[in-house]
Amino acid sequence: MRARLLRPRTRVDWFLTVIRVAVLIVLAVGFAAFIAQEINPDNPFAQWANPDATGLTGAQFRGLVVSGIAQGSMYGLIALGYSMVYGVLGFINFAHGEVFMVGAMTGMITSNKLADAGLWESNFIGSLVFIVVVSIIVSSLTAVIMERVAYRPLRGSPRLIPLITSIGVSFFLQNASVVLLGPASKSYPDVPDWLKAKHTFLQIEGAKILVVVVAALSMAALWYYVDRTKTGKAMRAVAEDAEIAALMGIDVNRTIVKVFAVGGAMAGMAGILWGILFRSVIHTTGFLPGIKAFSAAVVGGIGHLGGAMAGGLSIGVAESVGPLLILEPLGVSGVSQLRDAVAFSMLIIVLLVKPAGLFGERLPAEDRT
Amino acid sequence: MSQDPPDRAVPLLEMRKVNAHYGAVHALRDVNLSIYAGELVCLLGGNASGKSTTLKTLLGMLTPTSGEVVLDGEVVNGRPTSYLVARGVTMVPENRRLFKRLTVRENLQLGAYLRKDSDAVASDLERVFELFPRVKERLGQKAGTLSGGEQQMVAIGRALMSQPRVLLMDEPSMGLAPTLVQQNFELISQIHEAGMTVFMVEQNANMALGIADRGWVLQTGRVVLDDTAEALLANPALRTSYLGGGKDDSDSS
Amino acid sequence: MKRKLLTLVAALFALSLFAAACGGDGDDAETTTAPAATEAPAATEAPAATETPEDEMMDHLGDGSLGVVSVESGGAVQIRSLNAITGDVAFFGLPLERAVMLAIEDYGPVHGFDVDLGTGLDDLCSNDGGQAAAQIIVADEDVLGVIGTSCSGAAVAAAPLITNAGMVLISGGNTSPALTSDLAGTPGDNYNVGYYRTAHNDLFQGAAMAKFVFGELGLTTAAAIHDGDPYTQGLAQAFADAFEAEGGTMTGFSAVNKEDTDMVPVLTEIAAGGPEALFFPIFQPAGDFIADQAPGVSGLENTVLLAADGLLNTNYLALSQTAGMYFSGPDTRFGENVNQSTGKTAQDFLAVYEERWGESPAAPFWAHGYDATTLLLDAIAAASYVDADGNLQVDRQGIRDHLNSVEGYSGLIGTINCDDFGDCGAARITVVQNIGGEDNAEASMDNVVFSFAP
Repeated sequence: MRARLLRPRTRVDWFLTVIRVAVLIVLAVGFAAFIAQEINPDNPFAQWANPDATGLTGAQFRGLVVSGIAQGSMYGLIALGYSMVYGVLGFINFAHGEVFMVGAMTGMITSNKLADAGLWESNFIGSLVFIVVVSIIVSSLTAVIMERVAYRPLRGSPRLIPLITSIGVSFFLQNASVVLLGPASKSYPDVPDWLKAKHTFLQIEGAKILVVVVAALSMAALWYYVDRTKTGKAMRAVAEDAEIAALMGIDVNRTIVKVFAVGGAMAGMAGILWGILFRSVIHTTGFLPGIKAFSAAVVGGIGHLGGAMAGGLSIGVAESVGPLLILEPLGVSGVSQLRDAVAFSMLIIVLLVKPAGLFGERLPAEDRT
Repeated sequence: MSQDPPDRAVPLLEMRKVNAHYGAVHALRDVNLSIYAGELVCLLGGNASGKSTTLKTLLGMLTPTSGEVVLDGEVVNGRPTSYLVARGVTMVPENRRLFKRLTVRENLQLGAYLRKDSDAVASDLERVFELFPRVKERLGQKAGTLSGGEQQMVAIGRALMSQPRVLLMDEPSMGLAPTLVQQNFELISQIHEAGMTVFMVEQNANMALGIADRGWVLQTGRVVLDDTAEALLANPALRTSYLGGGKDDSDSS
Repeated sequence: MKRKLLTLVAALFALSLFAAACGGDGDDAETTTAPAATEAPAATEAPAATETPEDEMMDHLGDGSLGVVSVESGGAVQIRSLNAITGDVAFFGLPLERAVMLAIEDYGPVHGFDVDLGTGLDDLCSNDGGQAAAQIIVADEDVLGVIGTSCSGAAVAAAPLITNAGMVLISGGNTSPALTSDLAGTPGDNYNVGYYRTAHNDLFQGAAMAKFVFGELGLTTAAAIHDGDPYTQGLAQAFADAFEAEGGTMTGFSAVNKEDTDMVPVLTEIAAGGPEALFFPIFQPAGDFIADQAPGVSGLENTVLLAADGLLNTNYLALSQTAGMYFSGPDTRFGENVNQSTGKTAQDFLAVYEERWGESPAAPFWAHGYDATTLLLDAIAAASYVDADGNLQVDRQGIRDHLNSVEGYSGLIGTINCDDFGDCGAARITVVQNIGGEDNAEASMDNVVFSFAP
């Protein structure tokens, strides 16, 4: 830290500072204009940039935040897989978004079979548990086979090579889905009314409560697994120093397989939640959520599990709330089409302000011997 | 950690005419070493003399091209590291190499990764605390936050947790301040006195031979001297052979 | 080092996404301006066409200004189908392609020459898809005309390429006003001479929906959502203009991305205006998500949901969230209309269709595709003659001359008149209401609650 302060500031530093300040000003002005709108849509500051501004009701704002949190929890679950694989192997497995898609597709097939048998309606909770289990198994297997076939032979090669391979694997899985299931979008069966109805004094849809609760439970289970169990310790040891981990008697290859399996399981879980919430999947379902989850992992500090979840939630909420909260008061048109732009701006802003991510820790240089 | 006198009949760990290669480099040439239970022995040599290769061969990270590595009468050539660790060969790596993001407790637990006897693990943990009381105070801290000396204690403690029969030490003086080096060698003789068999690889001949029973000097992959510690210290050939290897900085070991 | 690389990768990634998003808009802008002018000279030469008497020439249309295609004796007249036959919108494009096949069969040979459709091409319902397929088509200089595209977005890219090659493009599915004209004499941004369509102009559809909402439902505030596609944008705009002309108020006009799934933000934006009706003339799957999520957004609980022909298919009507929704679309009550070139009725067509493909068409534009094909074959017949060697000589300009003069043609969709900008549709629009339930999806297609003809 001291060294950084003493280093003479270069032009790049000034440029970055200007960008940081500009970003902060845009955010502050947009937010202030939003507040002004909320106080009174007719006041001059509210209308300064956007004369048509109307402001949002409390219920509408809450709806946005809840929707962002639900979406963000799924990003977070997917992001865990990116983060864990990066932790142990140091490369970004871009095919992870497709593992999520495989999970969602498996859930679609299984739930429709259950619906045909009449079990989906008569025993929804049991069916849900069943499709979760099947989907977790299938997506974990997908991730494990992917590691065995595509990545293990490349162990020890430069990091760019498995990265590019992972893009290839991603295309392979998408096209495999087209070949096996066809290119059209496919629906989940209808969910019970209590998932559609609004609950609690906050008036949140049941499906969104379910998504957030299940995501939180999965996260807690994963945290316990990684932090408290022997296998979890082995994973963290391999992530930090595979050679010494082997010296402790840890089977590094098996540990890496477990990391892929656990990451795949989380993605499979996210796939089911996606299916319950949106009830429609297509072979490209994994693409955008996948790269947003990757962004979430970076925003939270890659390699840090809590960070992945926090990154997912912040990107989910930002893309949900950002367009209406910041951009619309600034008079930007077509704000709802800009949600992806907002999500990726979030990534850029965080990298500008805190390059290691929100929770990323930078160890002193001597530790990297 | 038995207190029995060294059994001179059967070496605990042995290298018999071992040759090893790194690609085209002939790193070990007909190396014979025998380590008996209860001994503290050291292998001396300069850079690129083959010290690290010897350790890797003993741990199964490198398979010899010829010759045998024998553990307690069993030939273990080609066995994986986990097999050797499970049978009591453990190394304290150069520069300690703790898992810095993990807590001290987790580091020690990982040392006992292969052990299933949780009661004995717990009592071994207590024994480590007896040896190094300061480690106990730091249990919940991340290992990376400890001082160099404390890290060295954790590194030795982690190795002891695997219930080793022989402890390999790679360059225990490397990268440490002089006072810490002194302290480190005291730790080693301390665990040796507690009954541990120690095989130490070291460049600092004076320090190492000061606590060791016997020693070998390795030069370009060949054992050139093999004697008791006192005799080696008195041997003028130690200096010359040593400097010969020590000057050669171009090759990394 | 690790982190720097990662940061770089992440930043590049984000930037490329921005570039992709912006680039998409840019493409549209380019294609909208470029093509209109290029074909004008050819059109001005057209009037002189019929008056070049040469001995060998039999009685046929055309002055040869766009070239003559010679079909050797025993060869076949080449036309193509360019429709959305894969992906989410295959339900829409497949019936169109099949209608082309059946129309060719029913029509029979042209001056004794067989008609060859080649391999059915796919417009992928996108700008890129239309462009790629059009390039394949124009590479074959023997092709005289193309029936397509299904989607207006694909036509924006395909029409300039195909018409510049001297071919004609006749669509049974495009409805965007930009492809023809504003119906008041001004060509649309994407109009190309040589482009025709039997589908209606969405200005009619927008007007029909506006009249229905304002007049029949008695609602005075409405909002619209499109997805940036020329079809959806044009129709949403047509509705908005017509609704305000009726005296209603538009409280919101917004857009989504085709691949969006979480519609709560855009719906919240719309809800802020508190509309009584929400018109979203888009496609699946985005349409599924809007219908599903709208009732959950505060302020839209009781808003009437309206969509258009892009979502008017049995697939969508079967979804539980679409029960009670209203859909505008072409009038499919074809009754006893007879195609004058083949003598077939809609019943004849459907009987053959169901027998051959084991289902009824999932979307309503099949009849438009059928009429488009018979119009093209009529035009080829009128613009060609068999020369002394037994070869068929087809004058490309003659095909256009014939289509420009179509008036009072009887097709499956009704009486067809082509205007100066290629609009040949029957302009009859109906609004249907979804009865609800999977089993009622077929019946809902015919559950007409309002009809409109200008």
